[in-house]
Amino acid sequence: MELTAGGRPFVHQHSAHCESGVTAALFRDQGFNISEALVFGIGSGIFFGHLFFVKMVGLPITTFRGLPGSVFRKAGKRLGAKFIVKTYRNPQKGMAELRQLLREGKIVGLTTNIYWLSYFPNRFRFQFNGHNLIALREIEGGFRVSDPVLEHPVDCLTDDLERARFAHGPLEPHGRLYYPSQIPPNPDIKKACIKGMKDTCNMMLRTGIPIFGVSGIRFLAKKIKKSPQKLGFNEACRHLGNIVRMQEEIGTGGAGFRFMYAAFLQEAGELFLSDELKRLSQDMTAVGDKWREFAVVSARIIKQRDEKEETFAKAGDILLACAAREEALFKDLSKIVRKLKA
Amino acid sequence: MKVNEVPQDITYYEGEKRACYALNEQGKYVIVTSAGWSAEEVVNGMAVAELAAHLEKTRKEVLAGLKSPLYYHMEQRQMTPAILAKTAGICRLRLRRHFKAPVFARLSAAVLERYARALALTIDELKKVPEKSSGEKDTK
Repeated sequence: MELTAGGRPFVHQHSAHCESGVTAALFRDQGFNISEALVFGIGSGIFFGHLFFVKMVGLPITTFRGLPGSVFRKAGKRLGAKFIVKTYRNPQKGMAELRQLLREGKIVGLTTNIYWLSYFPNRFRFQFNGHNLIALREIEGGFRVSDPVLEHPVDCLTDDLERARFAHGPLEPHGRLYYPSQIPPNPDIKKACIKGMKDTCNMMLRTGIPIFGVSGIRFLAKKIKKSPQKLGFNEACRHLGNIVRMQEEIGTGGAGFRFMYAAFLQEAGELFLSDELKRLSQDMTAVGDKWREFAVVSARIIKQRDEKEETFAKAGDILLACAAREEALFKDLSKIVRKLKA
Repeated sequence: MKVNEVPQDITYYEGEKRACYALNEQGKYVIVTSAGWSAEEVVNGMAVAELAAHLEKTRKEVLAGLKSPLYYHMEQRQMTPAILAKTAGICRLRLRRHFKAPVFARLSAAVLERYARALALTIDELKKVPEKSSGEKDTK
């Protein structure tokens, strides 16, 4: 149990994803009890995109989620909550205002660069400007923060936090902070769920852009199959390893968010008393297991354990199977969603 | 994934645990902590080894006088020239010149101070690179 500066208790909950975790915690702090999975589903967190033209350390980005910040924005809007979001040019001013807000007894969501947060294990730290956490109160030499990806709240040095909030590079946070200003007493969760599910179906099935959604998975699968011929074995391994890293590392809840979405479908199924949604949740779990199989096969290729059996073609085929299953699933979901009543 | 399938291979989380979604015996999703997964370790290990190898190559180049220590410290912080230039508030073209050892050696204390602050180092640290190769990269 943690206390905020105002003496209110704050219950830290271990979450799989930073953004949905922070958003859910801000809601809970206002007395509206909502789970991380529900926020993730309402905010349409699940996605797929292979951005072959955006490179990090020379490797193309594969994303399993929407743009950083979109879960927070969408979930807030769909639940009818109002947030105050601020960015700063001047780091001193940004830190001073954070202190002021904490003294008022508020808890504040922050967008940070994960490299400068030294409480993380070294191997998790890389230059990424989209990590979210909650500042609880000021302590000597730093802040008490609730980082939803970690099991317990931790202490963060002032210098670390200032660097992390005002880091430069792609997606600069500019000291972004946010806190709820008004949360309706009884948000219409059902309506928000329907909106979230519809949006997700559109993003996965109907963007019309071949690198996004289900067609994006197929695009990547074909690329993987060809990669050893095109790039050479070692380079192809680097690319494959990077995809698996993005799928499994930091805050995905496993298998590139698929299990978290399955948890959302299950919760929504109970909410709407819909057996169809519950069945889709099981399907989603199966898709997630397939994604994990992809990770296992990829890791074996990289280790070059059984070069004959585990090939890039096999990894590609698994992804094609994922794509086929997800396509069927989201098509089903878009039909079911139309029948649901808010 | 079922609760008993959540990977508990001890890897590199340094005692931290991650949250995973998994099905319990009643078929309900719950959050389970995971100590790490060996498949993940493989890909993370590859990325870390690659960074370390790169850094080691740069370190040797700096000792041989081909590059300035600034370049080493930038890589050590996993930054790109674009990020460093913006953090230090120095034009990218000017920064590129400072990657040359002779140019770097002549830099004024004021410019060094800006780089040192951007990289969270002291000026003395900024001017040197380690003599020996470090196994795990040392971070702040």
